[in-house]
Amino acid sequence: MMLLRKLFRTAWKYKAQFLSMIIMIAIGTGVFVGFHIEWYSLDKNTSEFFEDTNYADFRIYNELGFTAEDIAVIIDIDGIDASSRVLSVNVGVKNSEDALSLFAPEDYTVSKMLVLEGIEYDKDSDGFWLSDKYAAANGYKLGDTLILTYRGIQIEGEIVALIKSAEYTVCVADGNQLMPDYDNFGFVYASPDKIFNALGIEYYPQINIKSDLSKAEMESVLNDSPVKTTLLLSKDEHMAYAGPQSEIEEGQTMGSILPVLFLAIAILTMVTTMHRIAANEKTQIGTLKALGFRDRKILMHYSSYGLALGIIGSALGILLGFGIAGLIINPKGMMGTYLDMPSWKLYIPGFCTVILILTVLFLTLIAFLSVRKMLKGTAADALRPYTPKAMKAMKIENTRLWQMLPFGTKWNMRDLVRHKARSFMTLFGIVGCMLLLVGGLGMKDTMDRFLSLINESVNNYATRINITENANNEDTVSFAKEHNGDWLAASSIKIGDNALTLEIYDVEHDKIRFIDEDNNFVDIGDEGAYICLRLADDYKIGDTIEFSPYGEEETYTVKVAGVLRSVMTENITMTKEYAESVGIPYHISAVFTDESISDIADAEFISGKQSKVALMESYDSFMEIMNIMVWVFVLGAIVLGTVVLYNLGVMSYVERSRELATLKVVGFRDRHIGKILISQNIWLTFLGVLIGLPGGIFVLHVLITSLVSEYELKLTLGLLTYSVSILLTFGVSFVVGLFVTRKNKKIDMVEALKGAE
Amino acid sequence: MKIVEFENVTRIYTSGDHELRALDNVNMTLDEGKFVVILGPSGAGKSTLLNMLGGLDSPTSGKITVNGKDISTLSSNELADYRAKTVGFVFQFYNLIPTLTVYENVALVNEIASDALDAKKILAEVGLDDHLKNFPSELSGGEQQRVSIARAIAKNPKILLCDEPTGALDSETGVIVLKLLLSMARNYGKTIVIVTHNQNIAKMADVVIRVKNGKIKSYEEQDNPMSADEVEW
Repeated sequence: MMLLRKLFRTAWKYKAQFLSMIIMIAIGTGVFVGFHIEWYSLDKNTSEFFEDTNYADFRIYNELGFTAEDIAVIIDIDGIDASSRVLSVNVGVKNSEDALSLFAPEDYTVSKMLVLEGIEYDKDSDGFWLSDKYAAANGYKLGDTLILTYRGIQIEGEIVALIKSAEYTVCVADGNQLMPDYDNFGFVYASPDKIFNALGIEYYPQINIKSDLSKAEMESVLNDSPVKTTLLLSKDEHMAYAGPQSEIEEGQTMGSILPVLFLAIAILTMVTTMHRIAANEKTQIGTLKALGFRDRKILMHYSSYGLALGIIGSALGILLGFGIAGLIINPKGMMGTYLDMPSWKLYIPGFCTVILILTVLFLTLIAFLSVRKMLKGTAADALRPYTPKAMKAMKIENTRLWQMLPFGTKWNMRDLVRHKARSFMTLFGIVGCMLLLVGGLGMKDTMDRFLSLINESVNNYATRINITENANNEDTVSFAKEHNGDWLAASSIKIGDNALTLEIYDVEHDKIRFIDEDNNFVDIGDEGAYICLRLADDYKIGDTIEFSPYGEEETYTVKVAGVLRSVMTENITMTKEYAESVGIPYHISAVFTDESISDIADAEFISGKQSKVALMESYDSFMEIMNIMVWVFVLGAIVLGTVVLYNLGVMSYVERSRELATLKVVGFRDRHIGKILISQNIWLTFLGVLIGLPGGIFVLHVLITSLVSEYELKLTLGLLTYSVSILLTFGVSFVVGLFVTRKNKKIDMVEALKGAE
Repeated sequence: MKIVEFENVTRIYTSGDHELRALDNVNMTLDEGKFVVILGPSGAGKSTLLNMLGGLDSPTSGKITVNGKDISTLSSNELADYRAKTVGFVFQFYNLIPTLTVYENVALVNEIASDALDAKKILAEVGLDDHLKNFPSELSGGEQQRVSIARAIAKNPKILLCDEPTGALDSETGVIVLKLLLSMARNYGKTIVIVTHNQNIAKMADVVIRVKNGKIKSYEEQDNPMSADEVEW
């Protein structure tokens, strides 16, 4: 009972240390748990959504359309569980610049929707089942009339339900759009009969398939069937699945970098702090032992500090973790701007619980070991105050330079060497602070640069006009000429098993510009093909590449003439002149012009129009989140630096209070002593910045390559990032140093000098 | 010549409702160049007296004049300068900086004392010229106390203040250290004040002041103090 009272009183005595340990453990476990809850919840929620709506595993395409015979063949193939012909095209919305992806399934068994409000799907219904997010963003309600435009034809219907669909978990118009933008783009389900009645033809260019076969197996069964397929996409290549999947993988990657750093700092803080508390408490530990308490009882008493700190810290950490994950996994949060799904529940992975329990046990063990060290020997040994290791001369002390150093410098240097663990931890804290700052601010610099690259350098147009598959090139070319536009013919190709995009350009007006690895403009010539950076690992300039258009046997060989930074797709780029010289057939898919959307009349061969402004706006919410993340990183850096430095600073001050008192007695002024103490912090900060800066760039590199591997981002660090990171780190170190040295004034010289060394 | 004067000096420590009168209206003067011993049982107030004199603590009321200057009202920086230039301390437990070598512990006073003496020379005089590069933890207690004496002398202060300087040493070493302390003080013409409860040390003093319950009980000048060799230890 008395020991329990002592427990609370001791905790109060070391409240600064205990508080900092609790904060560090809470941050360490919180960040760890948070990141893992994030990806795990994402995985659970999306999987559930995919399962509930019978999300298709494969999509096959044929621009000419699949016939009733085709689907009958497909359904009979072994290993295919369900399939449906689908009309899936982008359509316009009358009296607006908006577009919708229209999804009309023949057989409502795969890729179903989730009705939130209104009636379930009915093939005989004349209505539209509209994306609830698009409806909310554009003020549509149940019962409103919606008029779609497609190839100049208007299709009118009543909104009969508001829905979500796993098919549109990531609702983007095409590969050029990174983030959903429900103000301008959504999706709608309709009965195919209604659409075909309006169009006057039956046209199913796509079949969705539910199957457990691998892609290779699927490819082979399709090749063996009479059904002609131009493109086969597994769900891994479909944005609705690949998008969240890559978020999950990113979460796992993030979960294994940052949180481990935080957890390691928390544990190391615990090791150094517990050791010092035990050292300070040594005479009390000895007194208990001398009084007749058994070692076991004393060990249990002090281990309970570790246990209590571990439990309180982890409990707060779990709350923090759910908080962090909740910020991301939230329909209004970071992931909500990217993914559209019905359930946003948070789940904690089982292994996190195990790791949390292990962490608490480990923290208890740290306390146990720290105290056991103090209990060694007889009661008399234990009663003697803790004496740090005796000082030994360092090698450098024999040099002339050393002799010339002022005493404060020598004192600090020896102190750093004598208390290696403390010095190392301080350094660790500063490096961590620097890593977060460079990582966070650098991420923003990189993304800002990337966006300005898209906006100002590469995309030099006002409007992109998408051309339908059955338009003929001559019409498109004359349309482009009429609007002073350039054009692109994009198509899927295969190099071996690798699917990528072939982009053939005619860029007379420079509406699309090309950049090299260093973001400098380059003109592409007619002497060869240009590969993107991702391909540059496998091919050099002068190499030849053999590829075939997707789903075709014919192969073409091109020579690599250069390397380009591709902001979006993994691609091979060439001029139309080179394509023609090699004999590659192409179909123009888009025209770029400076004219605004309203100046371009609808036409049958236009499948959609997109302004660059709208494209760039779709990044706004993404960048808002990015800014929040940067603040979180900066705040994290400041908290980390402050807590670690303050805790260690106070510890160091307590350890050296006798020396400080001696200096005061000898006649040193408080300012003078303060300067010496702060200069130690500043050295460590200098060293920490020297390590942290390249370390931060490395972390940023890892983040960029693992988190955004789908784009060719150039790691960019602005001058401001360098200065802010360095100044903030020094600032934290200096301010914390000031706070710690302020205690110097309060040293009671008389008290501190009592008792034996 | 008068170097120290205490006028009605009182020091009260309060903790909660409890009030402790450590010094109670103390009046005394000390002459320059004298060897003064302050004697008294534990808790008598002798260390408080020494701390007041050393500028480690300030009186609750009264005035302390040292070398013609009132130190009872100095700011903390002025007190630091006072400690740097006017007084040198020798403690029972040496209070050396463990991370500085013997030489550095003494030479560090160069940073604060304007007319500090040569550290090497002083260390040679206390017989430690072979240990300049040793750290305190590598020395015996007697040797550490000699470093502490050297440090106190090296500042070239007016007064040496010693709080139980032999308290942590065996009697044989204690005598050696005491002799050294006295000879150094005499050679350099310092006033030396030793606080102790060891009656034997008092036999060697020019002035013996006995303190009890925060008051000066007696003030005795000895015309023929004994030398350390004459005292039976």
